Amino acid sequence: MTAEVIQCSLVIVTVTAGSAGAQRSSSEPLWRALAAFRFASVGYAAVRLGFIDRAEYSRPDWAWAVIAVMAVWTVVTTIGYTRRGRRSQLLVADLIVTVGLLLSTTGLQHPDATVHGALPVTATWMAGPVLAWAIRYGRRAGAIVGLIVACCDFALLRGAALSTALNGAVLLLLAGWVVGHLARLAAEVQAERQHAIEVEAASRERERLARDIHDSVLQVLALVQRRGAEAGGAAAELGRLAGQQEAALRALMGESWAGSRATGASGDADLRQLVLPAQTDRVTVSVPAQAVVLERTAAAELTAAMRAALDNVRQHCGEQTRAWVLVEDEPDLIRVTIRDDGPGIPDGRLAEAAAAGRFGISHSISGRLRDLGGSATISSIAGEGTEVELRLPRVANIPVAASPGTA
Amino acid sequence: MVVDDHPMWRDAVARDLAEAGYEVVATAADGAQAMRVAGAARPDVVVLDLQLPDMSGVEVTRGLQAAHPAVRVLVLSASGEQQDVLDAVKAGALGYLLKSAARSEFLDAVRRTADGDAVFTPGLAALVLGEFRRLSAAPAEADSGVPRLSDRETEILRMVATGMSYKQIATRLVLSHRTVQNHVQNTLGKLQLHNRVELVRYAIEHGLAGEFEAGE
Repeated sequence: MTAEVIQCSLVIVTVTAGSAGAQRSSSEPLWRALAAFRFASVGYAAVRLGFIDRAEYSRPDWAWAVIAVMAVWTVVTTIGYTRRGRRSQLLVADLIVTVGLLLSTTGLQHPDATVHGALPVTATWMAGPVLAWAIRYGRRAGAIVGLIVACCDFALLRGAALSTALNGAVLLLLAGWVVGHLARLAAEVQAERQHAIEVEAASRERERLARDIHDSVLQVLALVQRRGAEAGGAAAELGRLAGQQEAALRALMGESWAGSRATGASGDADLRQLVLPAQTDRVTVSVPAQAVVLERTAAAELTAAMRAALDNVRQHCGEQTRAWVLVEDEPDLIRVTIRDDGPGIPDGRLAEAAAAGRFGISHSISGRLRDLGGSATISSIAGEGTEVELRLPRVANIPVAASPGTA
Repeated sequence: MVVDDHPMWRDAVARDLAEAGYEVVATAADGAQAMRVAGAARPDVVVLDLQLPDMSGVEVTRGLQAAHPAVRVLVLSASGEQQDVLDAVKAGALGYLLKSAARSEFLDAVRRTADGDAVFTPGLAALVLGEFRRLSAAPAEADSGVPRLSDRETEILRMVATGMSYKQIATRLVLSHRTVQNHVQNTLGKLQLHNRVELVRYAIEHGLAGEFEAGE
């Protein structure tokens, strides 16, 4: 009984140890685990022969010879299984050698040895080919070879200690099945990973091509805009339209440059991605080269406040006014500045509107920022445009989370 | 010299320059050709498209600055202010402009580049600001002298990034136009110097120092 427990734990320990290493092929760690198991088993068999079952052996010298053969065969198979070719022949040979050594126990032990609880001379080493066949050919092969070895084990019994032998048989079968399943699983996972890598490479390539194409399109549109402006008349109108589309396409490309993978699973978002689409031929959006990472809801709210500011510009100053948006990522603060070159808001009018309780500028911008834990400043000089500055502090390097406030 | 792989653009730009009174000494359609021709033609200003077929505009800028330090490079990009514009400016380009800029803006930019003045778009200013912030945030290499912007320089750069013209900035800060220009220039200079120092350090560390002697 204890022998079976030891065998079980040996298998588990070596499989776990084996899978810790890096793998080139999916079954490599399993082969290494098998090698570790076999060497450990040879050691265990030697211990059993030398100390535990010593009394049961009628021909101990021959038994030691068998142990030596086991050691040599373990080395041979360990080297042999790491090579790719002729594995099936080695597997068959492995099975035959193991069974042979197992059955040689008859000649080595006293007839009543099994009654006294002695293991065959191979002890746990007999599971070697079971695991090998399982790794190579899967669950069913592992189970069948387990059955074969178990039958040979049974054949040694000569009538006694049936229950212990049954234990051993079940364990062998289970070992074969489980390891085979594991090997299949590892192969499947590796295939999936390979597929994912290929898909990723293909999509990167596509992105690169798309970028080249977009660039060419942008160039042509810019050229049309230029020529149109020079030619005047109807062509100028065409050029203007081309210019609008060029700005839109550039904004779109800026988005994809800011990284379609920037939105991580952690619920963070890259503020640049949300802000860049606001770019038009009238609105210039300027961002830093690195991602401005912020918690997703905070980023959305900040973007909404920015859009509200831009809407204000359009409403109060007309369609032709230009605006500039600047996103800055300071170590402890995120700042979004919106400046326009419109007529500006006369002194006091802003405060007046807020006091009168009218929403609009005051609420949708300042209110949003306040809810986020930040602040908004609106400054304006009549005749020189308006500047809205949205400030959002980073709390101890952690992006500010939005409170469930009003919008 | 005009470097652009799109023949229509090359001709349009060359024509605009010629009409404005500049002498177009050479044109090139790719990076390698540009490097070769620059040696023979010795231009004062190179108008360079960032998107080239054989090598990136950034590499061409670097190569041109290394081989002909007196050349002033103005980079044009169709797709807007992205990392490669920042890299080109770090590598020594003096100015940057969008391809969709108006003709007058383009000619103004060429004139300023020829005078040795930096040409900044709001987008480029934002990229440069971000770059300085990144450099000061990165804790590594405390001894290599991370460049820092003075408060004044940061302020001016921020104003450029929000679309203010130098004149407007000068009025707002009660400075002269020239002073504002110098501040912006210094910003660029600091960035380019730091980049050069980094490149030399990298070359020495990796045993590439010999290559710098090779010239063109």
